[in-house]
Amino acid sequence: MTLKSTSRKNAIHVMLFYSGGCNGCDIEVVNALLSPRYDLEQYGILLTWNPREADVLIVSGVVTWQMVEPLKKIYSLIPDPKAVLAVGACAVNGNVYKNLVGDIGENKEIWAPVETVIPVDVKVPGCAPRPEDIIAGAVKGLPKLMGAP
Amino acid sequence: MTSAMDQKSTQNKDAEKVIEKELSFGPVHPALIEPYRIRLFVNDEIVEDCEININMAYRGIEKLFDGLPVEKALLIAERVCGICSHVHAWNAVRVIEGGLGIHVPERADYIRVLTHEFQRITSHLIFFGHAFEVVGHETFAMRSFLLRESFMDLLQYLGGNRVMPSVPIIGGIRPRADLTEALKKVILERCDQFEVKYADYVRRAVEDPVVMSRLEGIGFMTKDEAIKWHATGPTGRASGWDYDLRKTMKEYKPFDFNVIVLPEGDTKTRVVARALEVLECLKIIRQAVKNLPEGPVANRDWTAKEMKYTEAYDETYRGELMHSYSLDQQGLVRNYKIRTPTITNLAAMEQACIGDHVTEAILTIASCDPCLTCCTRTELVDNQTKRSRFMTEYEIVNKYGWRR
Repeated sequence: MTLKSTSRKNAIHVMLFYSGGCNGCDIEVVNALLSPRYDLEQYGILLTWNPREADVLIVSGVVTWQMVEPLKKIYSLIPDPKAVLAVGACAVNGNVYKNLVGDIGENKEIWAPVETVIPVDVKVPGCAPRPEDIIAGAVKGLPKLMGAP
Repeated sequence: MTSAMDQKSTQNKDAEKVIEKELSFGPVHPALIEPYRIRLFVNDEIVEDCEININMAYRGIEKLFDGLPVEKALLIAERVCGICSHVHAWNAVRVIEGGLGIHVPERADYIRVLTHEFQRITSHLIFFGHAFEVVGHETFAMRSFLLRESFMDLLQYLGGNRVMPSVPIIGGIRPRADLTEALKKVILERCDQFEVKYADYVRRAVEDPVVMSRLEGIGFMTKDEAIKWHATGPTGRASGWDYDLRKTMKEYKPFDFNVIVLPEGDTKTRVVARALEVLECLKIIRQAVKNLPEGPVANRDWTAKEMKYTEAYDETYRGELMHSYSLDQQGLVRNYKIRTPTITNLAAMEQACIGDHVTEAILTIASCDPCLTCCTRTELVDNQTKRSRFMTEYEIVNKYGWRR
């Protein structure tokens, strides 16, 4: 482990990007990261709202048309190395908004999964995923950040 | 929503006065967790006009329902919102139950009400967490998140999922969500523990002069304004408008509870109204558990057949919710329509924050507990390019004169 990755380990900044889901996953992410019961901050993982400061991007929900450009822009603003977590069934496969449709055939209002917009490293399934799963997902994204030169 | 702005801008044009300074937030902004855009037109730090654009979360939900079997439609209905998932599923069920006259066992109604009140508590506690984060008081925000966990656990015990408990089905509830004796005991225990901690939390919050000085005396909304903009729920009740659909619903007949109506109508009152409502929720939960009738939990004796356009209204945690649809000959869903409370509450808040200092505007907007995922439902399809795009509220008002 290099000095860089050792020091990086203690200050992982996570940015939450709400791309147009149903709000359930966002509350669970904020819950997992902030709330006293799950408290990801005790492992040195902090929530930030500044993309230039972030290492991990959490995307929750399907990507609506209006959020495609902001998502691409925010992804490009995050400095390398970066990891992207797709949290929730919507971000992983589109959930009911993509897969449960009647006469309409295909829902053209959304971009799903998130992989169609930006590359994704870790997928956390579940509707909504439990905070424990989100924490496990965030930990799985760490090697990509640690192994970088 | 922006009809006020519309009127205002025409007035301004008449007076040949242009508001030049504009503060714009969003859609992705540290102060806003959800994507929405706020434009504040300011004159020397005083808000002169406000425009909120909430179209960023448009997913085309109402169109997805078209042509689905009604049981499958419930899955989407529940996923309209992640905070008030139960009430959307419940109200979608109430439409067909009302339209086809499906009998619901009494025990099922009690458990639906119970889940409803569980989620009302968790929703109000999210509101406190969010409001105190906006105020800048992290400790209270953390405490409300911690208090909320006990009811998230109960939802998980009841339905199997923290966020989407999926309790109602057509004609009753899922048998998995039936209350056992052990669970009854846990619920009553948790309620007692919660009440002690919660009373302490509220007392600390309300008696804190620093926090209350931020909330007091801003964002005034009179009763007439609340009725005019149809600001329902605790937002309207904090302005003295005694309007609660629960008092008229037959599911709530057996329960004894008070409707919290406070006359002042400022931001502090809207917070306090929700704080007091949680105690009423606990009352209902205790009654539901203690008086739970015996019997079956689901009535399977129904078939989906042609149904006229039917509406159902419910009192959600933010206000009045309407679901409506019709069924065609094969029993498939047609013309689904959802009207959520936030859309009217935000319109009222746009008015309420006018005349205040710019730092208080976001606090006032947050005080109506906005949940934007379920709001806008309009699209505009261009026939030539075959691309659809979203209509802003401003366009809707301009084109169709909606809410005039």
